[in-house]
Amino acid sequence: MNAITGREPEDLNLLPDEVFRLHIRAWIEANYPAEIRNPEKRLHWEENKVWYFKLAEKGWLCPGWPREYGGLGLAPAKQIIFTEELERHGCARCNDHGIIMLGPLVIRYGTEAQKQHFLPKILSGEHIWCQGYSEPNSGSDLASLRTEAVDAGDHYVVNGQKIWTTLAQDANWIFLLVRTDKAAKKQEGISFLLVDMNTPGITVRPIINLEMHDEFCEVFFDNVKVPKENLVGQLNKGWDMAKALLSFERIYLGSPRQSAYALTRLKQLAERMGVAEEPLFAERYARHRCDLEDLKALYGRYVEVLKQGRPLGADVSQLKVIQSELFQRITETMLEVAGENAGLFGPMEGNRNLNPGALYIQARPTSIYGGTNEIQRNIISKNVLDLPG
Amino acid sequence: MSATAAGVAPFTGDRAESIEMIRDSARGLLGADMARVRKLRFTEPGFDAGLLRQMAEAGWIGLAVSEEAGGTGLGMAEMVALAEEIGRASAPEPLIGCALSAHLLAAAGESELLGQLLAGDAVVLTAWQDRANTLSLASTADGARGFVLAAGGATHILWPVAEAGRVALHVLTRDQVEITTEATQDGGHLGTIRPLPYSGHGPGRHIADDVPLAEALDRAALATAAALLGGMEAAFAMTLDYLRTRQQFGKIIGTFQALQHKAADAKMQIALTRAAVEQAAAALDEGAPSHLVSRAKARASEAAMLVQQACVQLHGGIGYTDDYDVGLHMRRAMVLVPAFGGAALHRRRFMELSPELEDA
Repeated sequence: MNAITGREPEDLNLLPDEVFRLHIRAWIEANYPAEIRNPEKRLHWEENKVWYFKLAEKGWLCPGWPREYGGLGLAPAKQIIFTEELERHGCARCNDHGIIMLGPLVIRYGTEAQKQHFLPKILSGEHIWCQGYSEPNSGSDLASLRTEAVDAGDHYVVNGQKIWTTLAQDANWIFLLVRTDKAAKKQEGISFLLVDMNTPGITVRPIINLEMHDEFCEVFFDNVKVPKENLVGQLNKGWDMAKALLSFERIYLGSPRQSAYALTRLKQLAERMGVAEEPLFAERYARHRCDLEDLKALYGRYVEVLKQGRPLGADVSQLKVIQSELFQRITETMLEVAGENAGLFGPMEGNRNLNPGALYIQARPTSIYGGTNEIQRNIISKNVLDLPG
Repeated sequence: MSATAAGVAPFTGDRAESIEMIRDSARGLLGADMARVRKLRFTEPGFDAGLLRQMAEAGWIGLAVSEEAGGTGLGMAEMVALAEEIGRASAPEPLIGCALSAHLLAAAGESELLGQLLAGDAVVLTAWQDRANTLSLASTADGARGFVLAAGGATHILWPVAEAGRVALHVLTRDQVEITTEATQDGGHLGTIRPLPYSGHGPGRHIADDVPLAEALDRAALATAAALLGGMEAAFAMTLDYLRTRQQFGKIIGTFQALQHKAADAKMQIALTRAAVEQAAAALDEGAPSHLVSRAKARASEAAMLVQQACVQLHGGIGYTDDYDVGLHMRRAMVLVPAFGGAALHRRRFMELSPELEDA
């Protein structure tokens, strides 16, 4: 049931794929707020909530959730079309950690009470979630995390620090990986905890990144009391639960959308700079274009796995590496084409589409976040190629 | 310092000594405090006018200007050492732009304004470009000219004008121009300059019939390459520290071969840049042709992006925060890489100017 309108959601799975696509497209085009189309930066809640609520009201906020929990219950193939249409229109990412991370996890591992309590509040926008995984000393080696939750009878006491918490300043709830057994092997002493950000002892400090944007935060926990019923799944089993969600992140990060967007901008830039027809540029552009099409072909193969409802293997790491490095190469070409304009902080001539410096900066962390490309290459060499060591 | 010497530098004896003295004096004046650089970002004029005056008083603006003209009388070997230190400190003061103007004023015999510039009483910058990606002088005398670094802090603008195969030089005072600025990634700005309506032959005051603009631009390009080299060295030093201290998976991350190789690749780019820059400086001081400058700027421009990217990557998430200094060097590189010609432009010029490759 829709948490806002109280209506039963429509079953869009019955539509043929192409009809479904056009249906989604038409509604997005009619309802998406023009002023936040193709944002240059990740938007804050105050900027994107209008879209969040429109999706919620339509019942389309959580396309992947089962219908019984207020989702659209879309089959994987339809979910992918849905995402493609959002990307096609340049829709901003919502504060979506509740939608794509916490919701599915609670649906899979939560108690009935947790489902009844938390899921409707995501659908209504009452709870905005953020993800507390990384720590200053636990980035690539996430399993070494040290933020701990100590059993104090009817509650846990949490102490420690998280970092790179996306949009924590917008969130009123955070899901945490915490250490609950210091003696166990590092992956086996981690639990999954839901914490109200208004609890005393929590401090959020935004980090300004190279885009001069405060997308990421540090979150500090000083003797924070968390009710025991906020543990999801079994004690000390948090790692496996969290890990199950990471392959989703890798295919999301492997989507060709960033590279495709950058290539479009590169073409516009080359035209503006008068080099689009030069053989040197044309060759480089052709190379990027072929790289992009090859990436799309590879991506399509993984999407097919999802469509068939099968789990993704470790080899999905390839997509993230290939996508991020292509995105980066395209933006490097942009700097060359832009000449002196490459150093500008803002867009050229006030044209948002001609913003080579900002796009170059934006491409830098894609080989760092979501598991650095070095880590992804380790995964490929060890878990896919089965090389020794 | 040549902190990370790569083989033997092409300077020996007295020359090597005077270079060391310049480096010492530069490090003394510039310091290693990046908080200073941070504070100046996104302000007007984006640099410390007091420090620029001190640089002038230390003889830096006229470092390569002859003593007869009031300069320090040293060569490009010293100038690139100085520019490298400026880059290492990521100093936003427009030393290279002022040195370019000093070269032109000296050639023009305009001793009064040159004297003010060398004393730190005037900030003189040169506007020569009417489009991006070029090493050629603007084709008209009165159109807008752009891409002047730190233009907002200028008291005077030099305005070279192409006239019958020669380059005449005009000087415009601040009240004879309109300057619009656009912020750059490093927190400085690029200025576009438009002469206000004037009567007579050209904008401002005509001060010379022919100045060696190409030679001055060569020197500025080489100094910019050296500044990029300094920025690479600084970011790389921070990165090595990080690789030696940061732990993950119970190990110092510098023990991971994937990271070691990335660092080794960066080191090789830095070594190539230093070799090219110092070779070009030595050659310019001997009056050799400028294809070496183009090779050096091409190398520095390409290497700077590779090295700065690697330094951010090797730091992981922290490298992407504005609080951490490694990003300051990347942002500065984004501005300096295309300044006075980027890699592709200079490679093309190298091929036009350089003698044929001898058969091996």
